[in-house]
Amino acid sequence: MGPLFNANDEWSFVIALVIGIAFGFILESAGFSSSRKLAGVFYGYDFVVLQVFFTAAITAAIGLLFFEYFGWIDLSAIWINKFYVGSAILGGGLMGLGFIIGGFCPGTSACASAIGKIDAMLFLGGFIIGVIIFDLFYPLYKPFYKASSMGASMIYDVLGMNKYVFLLLFVIVAILSFVGTAYIQQRVSKKTKKY
Amino acid sequence: MSDIRIIKKRYIFMASVFIGLALLLVLLPERHTLKELKAERLLQEVNDNTRYFTTDDVAEKIIANDAYMQLIDVRTPEDYKNFHLKGAINIPIDSILNKDEDGNYTYEGILNQDLKANVFYSNGTIYSNQVWLLLRRLKYKNNYVMEGGLNKWIETIIKPTKPSATASQKELDRYDFRRAASMYFGGASVTVSAEEDVPAPTPVIKKSASKEEEGGC
Amino acid sequence: MEDIKIQKPPKKYMNPYLAGVLLGIVILLSFYFTREGLGASGAFKRVVAKVEQTIVPSHLESENSAFHHYVTDGKDPLKNRLVYMIVGVFIGGFISGAINRRLKLKLEHSPKITSKKRAIAALIGGALFGLGSAFGRGCTSGAGLDGMAVLATSGFVVVAMIFGAGYVFAWFFRKLWI
Repeated sequence: MGPLFNANDEWSFVIALVIGIAFGFILESAGFSSSRKLAGVFYGYDFVVLQVFFTAAITAAIGLLFFEYFGWIDLSAIWINKFYVGSAILGGGLMGLGFIIGGFCPGTSACASAIGKIDAMLFLGGFIIGVIIFDLFYPLYKPFYKASSMGASMIYDVLGMNKYVFLLLFVIVAILSFVGTAYIQQRVSKKTKKY
Repeated sequence: MSDIRIIKKRYIFMASVFIGLALLLVLLPERHTLKELKAERLLQEVNDNTRYFTTDDVAEKIIANDAYMQLIDVRTPEDYKNFHLKGAINIPIDSILNKDEDGNYTYEGILNQDLKANVFYSNGTIYSNQVWLLLRRLKYKNNYVMEGGLNKWIETIIKPTKPSATASQKELDRYDFRRAASMYFGGASVTVSAEEDVPAPTPVIKKSASKEEEGGC
Repeated sequence: MEDIKIQKPPKKYMNPYLAGVLLGIVILLSFYFTREGLGASGAFKRVVAKVEQTIVPSHLESENSAFHHYVTDGKDPLKNRLVYMIVGVFIGGFISGAINRRLKLKLEHSPKITSKKRAIAALIGGALFGLGSAFGRGCTSGAGLDGMAVLATSGFVVVAMIFGAGYVFAWFFRKLWI
């Protein structure tokens, strides 16, 4: 029964490398190595980010719950990011701002750098600077960073729902968003020239 | 035009597959076979001491009338009748897995919930730890153990010993708290200690290395 | 989906839904084998920790560093699966770029702005993202995608905030893109 290895088992390193290769390959193939394509999601001319992102999320979520159902994986043993309310909200906001200005996120900038995008390399440089800044002034906001923890909180617990029902709703919302964005994209690209 | 129609059809098919799979998960009967925690994981949790509430924590919460803590006495009903902590309920260790007519655990509603932290205690910690371990195996959450049990409770809260003169401010503060708590619980002698001269405290600040789990990204 | 596969001319991007399903399977396998999902920012944080370890070890080892747990018990910050994963991302991206003939050294920008402007924006955006992913305990993949896959509250909140903030600020920075 999975998970088969602990995250810092030596085997995990080898598997992580293989998974990383697949991850990078898929990101690049889907067009995530182009900042203009990525930023399209915010201007309605290209929703590839949303399409890939949510399809991946619902696929993995359905898969994990089926794996659990068949007894292949112990979901209580996998790693869940803890939820610190204030820090997560601020972090998400800053990332959104960074995304719209810089045009990448860390994973996509790594694979864009690999195919020679100079703007992606600069983004990565900026990213490292941002991390250094965070660490330099860490004592200033350490209390905030660690405040209001809700632990490994699950969204369906917060909403008071059965997890399968939540998943079903999530899938439906994702598919509706695909339909909606396809419609918007059609209208926007009729109006604006293709870049 | 027909190309677009074919593509559209395929998307509709894809969408139905996703919704169908999710719906299947909702409709499938619940499986009970995998309810138990893996032994390795259990061992890891046993060695991790986060399940303990100190007697000071418990005293503080009782005094503050903290509604988010539920004390559970796992000793026999006779012992419970003789003495128990304020607000504690009694679930003797041998009845912890009692089942009702439907085959469900009688105490599941109390022992497996999100709202309150259950704190088990017995005279020592053997029984309370056994209860905790049993329930963890059933993947029940939110259960804790009072460190040292009632013996420690009496030693620290009811009859606190005075720290040595060179003790840190923290220890002195704790002693004051315990004395006040002792009075609250109607414990030992009530003599005045406030005016005793306290030597200049040498603060010993021991920081526990916070082991935060790493961010996944 | 196959229709795209069959008539796949070079340089055409993969169907986003196909890519999404494949990516979802990769996430699933990652959880199945290694207990954790995907991640990108963690590796760069570890690179920073490694640099700090060589230049200012006293800072890194003190409680004043957010990364001091990377080096407790004499651990090497780079000996972590996320570091191996990002190496894989570079390799995988390069392979796909090579197959699809997209390998080219260039600075991509909207025709309405200069290269210099795009370069500065990328740098600033990167820095903001770096700060954000530190606060958010992970980036779009580690906090967002993994979080949504396991139905964690943090994942949904972070994704909502990333897209929410993106749309809120999109209007101010539209000149950079359209």
